[in-house]
Amino acid sequence: MAEQITDQTINVIIAGVGGQGNVLASQIVAGAAVKEGLTVAVGETFGASQRGGSVMSHVRITRGREIGPLIPRGKADLVAALEPMECLRVLRVFGNKETRVIMNEHPNYPISVLQGSTAYPSLDDLKAEIGKLARLILSFAATDVARQAGSPVAANVVLTGALAGTGLLPITLDSYRRTITELFTDQAARELNLKAFDLGVREIRDLNKI
Amino acid sequence: MLPEQGGPVELKALVQNQNRCTACGACAALCPYIYAVREKVAVIYPCGLAEGNCYRVCPRTPTDLGELDRRVFGAPRTDHVLGEHSAIYFSRARDSEIGARAQYGGTVTALLAFLLQQGRIDAALAVRGNGAALPEPAVAATAEDLLACAGSKYSACPSLSALPQAVREGRRRLAVVGRPCQVTALRKMQGLAQEQQFSRLPAAKLDLFVIGLFCFWALTPGFYGFLAEKAGPEEIWKVDIPVEGLKITFTSGKELLVPVDEARPFIRPACPECFDPTAELADVSVGSTEYDPAWNTLVVRTAAGRALVEEARAAGVIELRPYPEERLPILRRAAFNKKLRVLNTQTGDGYLRLSGEYREQLLRQGGNNG
Amino acid sequence: MSITGVRTDQPGQAVLLTGNEAVARGALEAGVGFASSYPGSPTAEVLSILGRLAAEFNLYAEWSINEIVALEGAAAASFAGVRALAVMKPDGLNVAADFLTTLSMSGTGSGLVIFVGDDPHAHSSIKEEDSRYLARLAHVPVLEPATVAEAKEMVKAAFELSETLQHPVIVRGVTRICHASGKVTLGELPPRKKKPFFGKDQRFLTDPGAVAIYHQRQEEKLRRAAEMGEEMPFNRYEGPAGAELLVIGCGPAFLYAREAVEILGLTDRAGLLKLGLTWPLPEKLVLGRLRSAKKVIFAEEIEPVLEENVISLAARHWPAVGKLSFYGKSSGHVAGPGGPGIGELNVDIMVKALAAVAGLPVPEPAAPELIAGEGAASPAQGPPPFAPVPVIDRELAFCPGCPHRASFWAVRAALELDGRHGFVTGDIGCYTLGLGRTGYYLLRTAHCMGASVGVASGLSKLARLGFSQPVVAMIGDSTFFHAAVPALIDARYNQARFLCVVLDNGTTAMTGHQPHPGMGVNAMGEKVPAVAIEEVVAGLGIPFTIQDPYDIKTTTRVVYDLLQQNRLHVLVLRRECALVAARKTKKARVYVDQERCLGDACGCMRFCSRVFSCPACIWDAGAGKARIDETICTGCGVCAANCPQQAIIVEGVE
Repeated sequence: MAEQITDQTINVIIAGVGGQGNVLASQIVAGAAVKEGLTVAVGETFGASQRGGSVMSHVRITRGREIGPLIPRGKADLVAALEPMECLRVLRVFGNKETRVIMNEHPNYPISVLQGSTAYPSLDDLKAEIGKLARLILSFAATDVARQAGSPVAANVVLTGALAGTGLLPITLDSYRRTITELFTDQAARELNLKAFDLGVREIRDLNKI
Repeated sequence: MLPEQGGPVELKALVQNQNRCTACGACAALCPYIYAVREKVAVIYPCGLAEGNCYRVCPRTPTDLGELDRRVFGAPRTDHVLGEHSAIYFSRARDSEIGARAQYGGTVTALLAFLLQQGRIDAALAVRGNGAALPEPAVAATAEDLLACAGSKYSACPSLSALPQAVREGRRRLAVVGRPCQVTALRKMQGLAQEQQFSRLPAAKLDLFVIGLFCFWALTPGFYGFLAEKAGPEEIWKVDIPVEGLKITFTSGKELLVPVDEARPFIRPACPECFDPTAELADVSVGSTEYDPAWNTLVVRTAAGRALVEEARAAGVIELRPYPEERLPILRRAAFNKKLRVLNTQTGDGYLRLSGEYREQLLRQGGNNG
Repeated sequence: MSITGVRTDQPGQAVLLTGNEAVARGALEAGVGFASSYPGSPTAEVLSILGRLAAEFNLYAEWSINEIVALEGAAAASFAGVRALAVMKPDGLNVAADFLTTLSMSGTGSGLVIFVGDDPHAHSSIKEEDSRYLARLAHVPVLEPATVAEAKEMVKAAFELSETLQHPVIVRGVTRICHASGKVTLGELPPRKKKPFFGKDQRFLTDPGAVAIYHQRQEEKLRRAAEMGEEMPFNRYEGPAGAELLVIGCGPAFLYAREAVEILGLTDRAGLLKLGLTWPLPEKLVLGRLRSAKKVIFAEEIEPVLEENVISLAARHWPAVGKLSFYGKSSGHVAGPGGPGIGELNVDIMVKALAAVAGLPVPEPAAPELIAGEGAASPAQGPPPFAPVPVIDRELAFCPGCPHRASFWAVRAALELDGRHGFVTGDIGCYTLGLGRTGYYLLRTAHCMGASVGVASGLSKLARLGFSQPVVAMIGDSTFFHAAVPALIDARYNQARFLCVVLDNGTTAMTGHQPHPGMGVNAMGEKVPAVAIEEVVAGLGIPFTIQDPYDIKTTTRVVYDLLQQNRLHVLVLRRECALVAARKTKKARVYVDQERCLGDACGCMRFCSRVFSCPACIWDAGAGKARIDETICTGCGVCAANCPQQAIIVEGVE
């Protein structure tokens, strides 16, 4: 377990690509925070961004009074990225030397890469660059772990589990699990997502030991 | 000035946009950026290539007739007016059903049916329609399909665009029926396909037998509106353009004769540039006789053409008569006059690449004949 | 994102709600009985939720054909004694404006609240419009929540205010309210409502013979609203008494300003006046703070509405307020990378503005230069600062298998074949993306809902002046119902000649697949008779054709033929939204035969991945060939039709 962040306000950014399930991840984290009696403000962008654009959720958890839903530049404490290049994109604007990063290594290629007009950087280059910008980087193939849980689409919940498993946030695993249970009324979906969450927790704890 | 090499930009600017496209459909057969719809062929999106096969196969881009002769016949031509040939006949189908459906003698349909029946082709690429409405390309694989393609069409169906359909359907042995411009495009395509780097062209994947059609000009689709106007409430069964004019036959049995001059405004602008009224590069060419509507003119050109005609006759599929001696000068004069008009009007941006020798021979042979 | 929080009947419990959920909950706590909307981001989820809860809470909810009908319906409910909520985006308020401006004359009965979601930065809009100007024009009070929790409280208060004044009230949210989430404490859910009745003596009229009386009544209601605003808990002051530096803000921008004050260490110097009722201004409250201030800075999103109203108030009271300097959009101090009033505000922008006003240096790393472009340096500034590892922009595109891609390709092909310089007028929906690469840059005009038809119609009427280019209007199914019909009647009557292509994907896709009249289901999930587009068109006496756009070659020919006709025609390109289809049908397998695909040797210049550009058509750089990403491919098989080598294989599903 990493050391819990003790700031008055904790700024978490969940980054990804439209369709990867950013919003669900942010709702689980924020919902769990509310269960802990914390105050939260979440800022999302969705709408046109669903169609393959970059998306970002700002989750601000505070012990104090209400704050706005947007994190100032350079003030992210924690970045959970569903996609490596989106991780770098977010870090360059919102990161600082203390920022911790949890990242899915599975790339999602922009149209221009698919069309061959630009080249996607190598994972090693991306990780090296992210490493320069952040205090801690924990990365793994969340999409593959999600496949074990039953669906590669559940990578967002695997990553949320990983985020929870680090212990960086002042939120108990139980609060996350209760939030997931509430969010999914369908029994099969609930079980799949709880499994994905638990696999994410386990994955990050294994990773952290190494 | 037509450059010797070009790509879609030149094809669009110098052929399609200049009304010089014959709607053969060859370029559309090669390329996802070129579509052929109804009788229009257009580059619909820039592919980005400076040079392309679209430009190479077009019958209206620089065309070296001497080289094409050598490629098809293995030698320079001996007859500059009618093209290389080993025989000319009057011919007709012996099958009465074909004869009834055909415009004239039914030779094309009979030959195709023979090829199909013998299992020597998988399909024929032809054109479906009754001449009174826009025709459509057809990959005909049965005798029934073939009958739907019988009869002349007077506009320019870009039927070569259906070559990929034949490839997709796995019909690799194909007889293609085409206008002279289409035969030229096909021969250009075959020539390219022999080169290693173009071995992917449809022509390389196909075993082709080519039946060329006589064609002095095709009409634009506007012609069908004109026909409909002439027909009024009557339903058109058949259209014909014999020497005496435009003849419309209605399903009621009535007939209407329209002076051919009324149809002239609909001549496709690309056609007056045509140098090849008798499909000189085909295996065999077939046309009307301008004399006896029960017969066709059949020009036997290649060895493959010769073999087919012989076998078809032996099998009783077609019937041949010697070409009447007195009619030959008329045919030659018509063909030569068309060539001469083109030679006299060819400007710097013409597509013909003729050697001095070729030109000289043509003028000499045509002059002697005239 | 959970309906559970909205419906939970446990007063006092804290739950996480989105802004839109909080608005729905606020309406339920206010006892709303009628809710109507036309889907528009960022407010679309409000009515989706209320529709789902309609039976449980004994209310009526509808997706209306458009916003003016939505507002008329909501007003009707109000007239009959039912509290009513109409939800729309500012573009929708424009549509409803004609009714709104008269509704505020006639007055209302039971509480009538209009929730409008403005979209600073136009995250999912065609423009960033500030609805407060229109509210002011219509003499309607405006409340602006700063947080999700406040959104719920404000909706409740708005119903009370509306009922007290007998006047419509607008609650203006912004994207960072609607699509934000926050902790909300649940309130009481009221008991069942009484039966609606349009009373014998009730009159809701406007009267051309007595306009002055109605206008006086509007002004009087606004005066009363302003008076009530003096005591509203949504308007409040924080900070030292007699502060010379005064921040006046509303909405989330107020919170950005407050955080900026903290970051700059100005807490002891700067006063913060938060306004919830931003129109009409609670003048006494504002004047009281202006008296002690020397410098006033404004924090509000999009237009300087509050700013202009406060400056105007100060000018009227200049002897009392003394010398004042104002900083905001007019002065250029409050400005994002795009300029004052352009784009969203955030903490960084407010830090920069406040620092300049207070004469402080801007602390690093709060400079906001990179925020709008996210790393995209302009050429004049030289190479971007992070050159070694590129971060590539993600262009928006039609989804894999989207029928619009096929439709746009076919229309483009047909126009090129036609060759008369024909072009396309665009409309509002997913297909607005067609103005870019994903739609082959086809759109030449794009404005508001329905404009494709009116503009195409107008262009074609220029034929009498010698105009001869073919014109194609491309409009979606939901947008067709919303706004195309009057323009089509006009087109027939005034003998316009153009092709109207209706991209019928069977849903309101852009905003999240809300039902529309063509779908046979309503907002409450009930089965209802569907209104077929072709029936409407036939009723107008306009010929129509229906075609499946997935068959690209046939569609191209159909469009080409229709262009040759040079007359008014409606072509319905009908194919279900790929996102909807993916949920229910088994998909075909599509793959590239690696033998047949010749890669760069083909000469097709990577047509499938580079040009047709379905996200599922990938260029496999390693193999040097095309590949289908089977995880996102929907199996539509459209790409196969264009491959010159027939290398894309579709294995169908029976």
